[in-house]
Amino acid sequence: MKKIVAPPKLFHRFFRWYCHPKMLGHIEGDLLEDYRDRVHKKGKWRADARFVLDVLLLLRPEIIRPMEGYKNLNTYGMYKNYFKISFRQLAKNKTFAAINISVLTLGFSCFILLALYLHDELSFDRFHSDAEKIYRIVQHEQQENGTIRSVSSVAPALGKEAREQFQEIEDMCRLSAFGRVTLGNDPLTRTHERALSADPNFFTFFNFPLIEGDPKSVLQNSDAIVISESIKEKYFGEGPALGKQIWSGYMRQGKPVYLTVGGVMKDFPKNSHLQISLLFSDATWNVQYRDYAQYVNTDWVDTEYTTYLKLKPQSDVALLTAKIKNLVKSNYPTDREFKSNFELQPLQEIHTETEQFQSAADEFNANNIKPFYLYTFAALGIILLLTACLNYMNLATAVAIKRTREIGTRKTLGAPKFQMVTQFITDSVVLSLLSFIIAIAIVYAVLPFVNVFASKALSITTLPVEWMIGILFIIFIVGILSAQYPAFIATRVSIVDALKREVKLGGSSLSVRKALLIAQFAISIMMVASTLVIYQQLNYLREKDLGFNHENMVVIDVNSRNLRRNFETVKTEFSKPAEVLGITASTRVPGEWKSFPIATTKSSENINGSEMIFVGIDNDFLDTYQIKLLAGRTINDPVADSLKIVLTQLAVEQLGLTDPIGQTIEIPKVRYGERMEELEQPFRVEVIGVVEDFHFESLRANMMPVIFGALNTSIQVIDYYTLKIKTNDWAQTIETLKTINNKIDPNTPLEYTFLDSRFEELYVTDARRGQIFLTLSIIVVVIACLGLFALVSYSVESRMKEIGVRKVMGASVNSIVRLISKEFLILVVIAGIVGLPIAWFFMRSWLQEFAYRVPFGVSVFALAILLTLIIAFVTIGLRAARAARMNPVNSLRSE
Amino acid sequence: MKKYQLGEFEEIVMLTIAILYKEAYGVAIKNEIESRLKRNVSMGAMHTALVRLEDKGYIRSHDGEPTEERMGRPKKYFQVTALGKRAMEYSRETRNALWGAIPDVSPNVKFS
Repeated sequence: MKKIVAPPKLFHRFFRWYCHPKMLGHIEGDLLEDYRDRVHKKGKWRADARFVLDVLLLLRPEIIRPMEGYKNLNTYGMYKNYFKISFRQLAKNKTFAAINISVLTLGFSCFILLALYLHDELSFDRFHSDAEKIYRIVQHEQQENGTIRSVSSVAPALGKEAREQFQEIEDMCRLSAFGRVTLGNDPLTRTHERALSADPNFFTFFNFPLIEGDPKSVLQNSDAIVISESIKEKYFGEGPALGKQIWSGYMRQGKPVYLTVGGVMKDFPKNSHLQISLLFSDATWNVQYRDYAQYVNTDWVDTEYTTYLKLKPQSDVALLTAKIKNLVKSNYPTDREFKSNFELQPLQEIHTETEQFQSAADEFNANNIKPFYLYTFAALGIILLLTACLNYMNLATAVAIKRTREIGTRKTLGAPKFQMVTQFITDSVVLSLLSFIIAIAIVYAVLPFVNVFASKALSITTLPVEWMIGILFIIFIVGILSAQYPAFIATRVSIVDALKREVKLGGSSLSVRKALLIAQFAISIMMVASTLVIYQQLNYLREKDLGFNHENMVVIDVNSRNLRRNFETVKTEFSKPAEVLGITASTRVPGEWKSFPIATTKSSENINGSEMIFVGIDNDFLDTYQIKLLAGRTINDPVADSLKIVLTQLAVEQLGLTDPIGQTIEIPKVRYGERMEELEQPFRVEVIGVVEDFHFESLRANMMPVIFGALNTSIQVIDYYTLKIKTNDWAQTIETLKTINNKIDPNTPLEYTFLDSRFEELYVTDARRGQIFLTLSIIVVVIACLGLFALVSYSVESRMKEIGVRKVMGASVNSIVRLISKEFLILVVIAGIVGLPIAWFFMRSWLQEFAYRVPFGVSVFALAILLTLIIAFVTIGLRAARAARMNPVNSLRSE
Repeated sequence: MKKYQLGEFEEIVMLTIAILYKEAYGVAIKNEIESRLKRNVSMGAMHTALVRLEDKGYIRSHDGEPTEERMGRPKKYFQVTALGKRAMEYSRETRNALWGAIPDVSPNVKFS
């Protein structure tokens, strides 16, 4: 009997497991045969060893079974095939692929950019570890004339008292603004810095990171300041600045105060509603002002302190608000009427607060944006994505009809419907993913420019994973959804028709594609019209006659006593250079620099009083600003005319005066920013002149009535000189002015601004939004045109024979172009009819922000349609002319 | 550009297939190479070479009959294709051309 010699079982089975089934038979045979030989020749042990070695050496990629198995037990192969066909389709229709990829890429990049932007806007103030526990106390104060004034700051005593009395409050921090401080150890390079002061716990309350200093103690000591990194570099250069001293413009016992750097903080992140570069410790004021401590602890009327509360978890916010109101009410002076309401504003909502809050300084409400704009930008992102999708659907449908033979073949071979649908979905998902990858690259490339433009610090890497997944998900959905319609159209045809290639552009498919095109162009026209209106409005703002001259005017900010005293001498000094045509001193200048003192003004006709801007001027003011005097005279002498005033027409109207000159009016109180001050005795003044109305503020606000008084009133001191300049060499002129300034006051640097650039600045965000709109509408129009171009190409190609026949019959190129263009141009007109009402509605709500708005009507919309029509016509014409010029032989001989 | 890709071992395998003519199957090829060239051939190396050659179209195969000594596993016979023959010739010609280009003096100098 033959003894069965078998190789090591384990390795034999191992080989059978890994070997490719197709090779298993003969290689195994070889192994076994070889093994048998060896057993005979060399014995079992050595044969076994050799067998093991051979099995191991056979473990090579060529011989191992493929991962997915070689028998089609599943449909992986089909999926592979979907992708293969998708790429083949792309390679086959290169124009189609190029147009689609560029359109989707454009759409996706804008979408991603807008998502980044929105994410940034929504991330405001979220980086504090206790962000959701922090609230700001705001106050709504009822004015005498019934209007409500909302202030984002409250009385100084409130915060401390509330913290002590109410258990819900875990911590409290107050900030106050006091304008600017002059800094610098070197007298020649001294500049002004905006500064705030804060309670010592500021850096533990919020999470603004410190580079130097201990968060717990940086603001403990008096005269300690915390400066931002950029301020540090400005004054101390590189290297640590902790403990260094710096000269300040404050005086104490006749000596300048030296401040000590207690800490250096990182520049505030851009997504913070607080933007602070210099912080004083509150303790400084205890030393600087004698009654400060008393004021801070007992004043319940002032609204100068921005107060933040950190609440314990699960606190009843409404209850606390009521408690705060009662607290203020019970402490309010008895001789004053208490008419305020309080609100606790969550920290994270400050940035998107709709209400216009008056705040003590710009630092408190930096970069606020109205939710209206956020919604608009979100809508724009979706619109862009939508047009890109519509475009894809349109083109894919056109191409799908060409693919009927493929569909027919699939059907004949027994493909179920879902397989064909999957093919179309794969097509569009492949295309979307390709575009998405390119879009990411583009976003990377343009982000630096976008950041400069929007003054943001956007970055893809800061986008949380959920957002990224969300974007990808949306893009996937987009791909799947936009494949539905072409798939539906293509799979509807019967097999016989499909194979005979007699499929006509189905009636319904054509009308749906036209509808898609109309939608695209409606969006385009909407955007074009909106952009036109925005630009018209901006132009209107820029060119509107403000009622005074603001060109070639230099405004000098008065920062020191030297410049304020003896203003007559200062004026003569500054008017010496030949370039200076005129100079005037005033307490305020047009253009929203500092808050205006608002005087409540009463007359015999207007007993309740109206609020008016009060400005003290000298005798040259009206001439320098070229404000027209309508009646009477202006203020001539600061002393002699100290009880005389000049009114604007609007003021005369509001006071109800028919013959203003010589009348007496009364000013019982004046409001300075947040602070209302009752004058010790009502200020009775005589009207001596009337001037034409002019705009003291930006055109967002309604025109305010203005009262001009003399400089030497109790209301206000000189704060500005305005110089009217005529020069060819501005740099030289500014140098001259600096020299004069140094002569008058060597300690304080000259601070000057051009009045017209100040007015430009007021609309800078609007101009920026205009540019965003312009860019986006160009993109939308480009997308729509690419879609149009592709559709025209398709239509032209399928009508090649018709065009050929027409040409043979003698049709001119023009008539053929006309024939092709007509049907598409009609679509654009229909799109206009659909899009314009939406644009009108949208623009009307945007213009509500401005008190003065450009009248817009039919002409703008006609222009928008005309523009779009021209662009569309050029697009169609290019393709149509090429088709019309072709030799008819080429299209006809194939028959 | 290489016209025909043929590795050294692959060439040997092909030559052996040609020598064995109708009898070229796994173990036979292996034994032939081992006996002629006095070198050990692993099953893995040889089968890999065979797979690659077949992929390149230089050889083709057909299944043979199962035999008893192979415990019922079929043999797979290989045969050189026309393309394979050309590849072999090409490789031989290039060698010859290179040999021919060696100047007469050099082998004496270099190889002595």
